[in-house]
Amino acid sequence: MKKWLAGIAFVFCILSIYTVYHNHSWYQTAIVTVIEAKVIETTSLQQDQLYEQQLTVEDHNGQIGILTNTYSNSRAFDQKYQRGDELFVKGDQIIGVKRDKYLVIAAWVFIFFLVLIGRKQGIRSLISFALNVFILFMAISVYVRYEKVNLLVSSAVATVLFTVISIIFVSGRTAKTTAAIIATLLGTSIAFIVALVAMLLTNQQGLQYEEMQFLTRPYHIVFLAGLLIGSLGAVMDVAITMTSALFSMQHTATLQEIKQAGQTIGKDIMGTITNILFFAYVSGAIPMMLLYFKNGLPFGYTLSMNLSLEVARALAGGIGVVSTIPISIYVSLWLMKRKQVA
Amino acid sequence: MNVLVVLAIILLGLMVIVGGASGVRSFISLFLNGIILVVTVFFMLDTATNILLLTMFACVGLSAVNLFYINGINRKTMAAFLATFMTLSLLLGVIYRVTDVTMIQGFSEEETEELDAYNLLVGIDYIQVAAAVIIMSTIGAIMDVAISITSAMQEYERYSKATKRELFHYGMNIGRDILGTDTNTLFFAFFGGYLGLLIWFKDLSYTFGDIVNAKVFGSEVLTIFTAGVGIALVIPIAAFTSIMLKQMIR
Repeated sequence: MKKWLAGIAFVFCILSIYTVYHNHSWYQTAIVTVIEAKVIETTSLQQDQLYEQQLTVEDHNGQIGILTNTYSNSRAFDQKYQRGDELFVKGDQIIGVKRDKYLVIAAWVFIFFLVLIGRKQGIRSLISFALNVFILFMAISVYVRYEKVNLLVSSAVATVLFTVISIIFVSGRTAKTTAAIIATLLGTSIAFIVALVAMLLTNQQGLQYEEMQFLTRPYHIVFLAGLLIGSLGAVMDVAITMTSALFSMQHTATLQEIKQAGQTIGKDIMGTITNILFFAYVSGAIPMMLLYFKNGLPFGYTLSMNLSLEVARALAGGIGVVSTIPISIYVSLWLMKRKQVA
Repeated sequence: MNVLVVLAIILLGLMVIVGGASGVRSFISLFLNGIILVVTVFFMLDTATNILLLTMFACVGLSAVNLFYINGINRKTMAAFLATFMTLSLLLGVIYRVTDVTMIQGFSEEETEELDAYNLLVGIDYIQVAAAVIIMSTIGAIMDVAISITSAMQEYERYSKATKRELFHYGMNIGRDILGTDTNTLFFAFFGGYLGLLIWFKDLSYTFGDIVNAKVFGSEVLTIFTAGVGIALVIPIAAFTSIMLKQMIR
């Protein structure tokens, strides 16, 4: 059975990689392959250097052409092309790089590691990941398609689905699953409501939405929806860890002992899980911060422009994480007691 | 009053109520992480810096704060520290190559409209920056998995006379149990962060082909995949360093 599945996966892997390397007909834009690249001119700038590249390219029919491209040492907004790169072109204008093949290979590496090391749990988290991605895309599509649908409502529905599916996949259908689902939904709601109230009370002072200005939609709503989904994972992590530890003690310890154990576990995990969120959000701001500093913008301005939304998300997530600890304990105890009475 | 100040005070209050002294420590460590991150950005500004090397130094600093400051210096934190360091070094080398090949560094057309006013030719190697960002986004999760494994293994060996092999398997099993929840934490954090962008893709009615070849999308997907691989990879490494240190100390 196992070998059989591995065989199918292997065939899929080879097939998908082959396909993505030969899918040029799927695209309406012309695709060319770089067969030779040479630098024809170098210009020194104050902080950087510019290079002009002459690219000899070949299209799908074997026709050869010449394109020019300029790149810099920093490559913040330009690309250095090399032999073998595949580019989308319109006329003699390069409009993009064909990256789909790399993503497919990376996806297989990801699947391989998760399954090889995680075994059954790895496969489970892959399936729940795939389902969650599907739900996310559905929620966004519904929101974008129908004007009347509020983003917060569609995110809230998605959140409930995410929670139920992920937790059932991680821990099966047991009493602790119920506890984890209730605790997750309560914890996420708290993170969301606290953030919302804080924003209303302070008139959103301190939040800089400039980085979301490309959106043609109300960005504070998009920010809040992102905050809701972003907190969910961390809150779920706490709820699952707590409830599975507590329910494993169910038959050997008194309710009082279980409560105390829960408090100890909670202390151990709240810092690390808040940190996971912090790093996931804040690191992404580094490239833009570098650009601001290099352009001579002041320290405080750079920090508040680039970090305010990320830090707000991390803090709200942290609030969700910490409040989920007592919630998980009380919900678990309540369910255990109810079972004892019945 | 500023939103961030209000949220920070509420978080501190909750951490103190729920965690007491260790809650305060968790809050301080969050603050220290922020400082290390900003200092790292400052060092990156010097174009002579090797950003990959700098990232490794930053990772050492960050793991020291989060492992040693919170849990003290002992065998299990040393083992977790080593495992985090080994995993991140391994990943960083690979990620750098991947960013170079896939060309996902820097800013995309989607973002650059607002960047018109800025000089983008700043001489900093954005390929190395992109690799640094991907690594730093996952460091929290990798440390979490590492410390959970090494501390569970230390508890386990105290109560049982397990052989090296059994101990390794025990560590692997602990790791597998956290794999699902930790990958979930990161996935949702990234989904939440990317929500604006995904809506925007839809609004511009990008085709599926446009999206999968876009620079921003590529960098986000690669970040998610790297996080998954990193979390998986640290499991056997942490089980190994834990056993290695146990033998060295005895």
